Amino acid sequence: MTAEIQGDVVVATEHIKAPPEVVFPYFTDPALLVTWIGDRADLDPQPGGLFLLDMGEVVARGAYLVVEPPYRLVFSWGIPGDDTLPPGGSTVEVVLTPDGEDTLIVLTHRGLPPARLGQHRAGWEHQLGRLRPA
Amino acid sequence: MAGRTPTTPAAPDAVLRALADPHRRQILRLVQHTELPAGQIAASFSLTQQAVSQHIGVLKTAGLLSERREGTRRLYALRHESLEPVRELLSEFWPDALGRLKTAVETAHPRPARRP
Repeated sequence: MTAEIQGDVVVATEHIKAPPEVVFPYFTDPALLVTWIGDRADLDPQPGGLFLLDMGEVVARGAYLVVEPPYRLVFSWGIPGDDTLPPGGSTVEVVLTPDGEDTLIVLTHRGLPPARLGQHRAGWEHQLGRLRPA
Repeated sequence: MAGRTPTTPAAPDAVLRALADPHRRQILRLVQHTELPAGQIAASFSLTQQAVSQHIGVLKTAGLLSERREGTRRLYALRHESLEPVRELLSEFWPDALGRLKTAVETAHPRPARRP
């Protein structure tokens, strides 16, 4: 897996040994989403539908903007109460490309604020949310 | 810049521990764009001045606050560059998450072993 930060964009990639049809619901089904990120999710995977992810110390809230199973989806992402990263203030695009029987994922998080406190707070709180003992 | 505290970079862990308290984050927001004396910082909280001083001490130790003396006052400000290690951590957020996604998917959908 790799990641790059360029300006206000983060790009992360991953290769998964399963086809896009299997991987895609992990971004739209709450029970599947929380197997890899967050503790609780409230999802309405249609354009304009709610995207809410409770990560313990922080809740990310946004809306699905594009839902094109099983190859592409876009949702907005923000932290309520954080005026440097408000809900809907940034977007996450996920593109699933078939690679034989596997999937190449490219995730692009756009619209991050410049290196400011809010952004960092969100970042470390996500991290801490994951690092907490079970 | 005379009178500023040393600007040794702190480890990400120290920065994260310092940030892991809502009062300390609030202090940083107060001095994000301006220098403030300790008394004015304390006036923004329902905490005792002593408690606020302790939080300021933690933030200073982590390298997140600069301190400048002006007469009898000590002025504090956010050192923006001290957040760079946390920015690097943020860059690991999605890769880490996708790594867990890979594990979750491949555990739930194991490929049958291929016969030679």
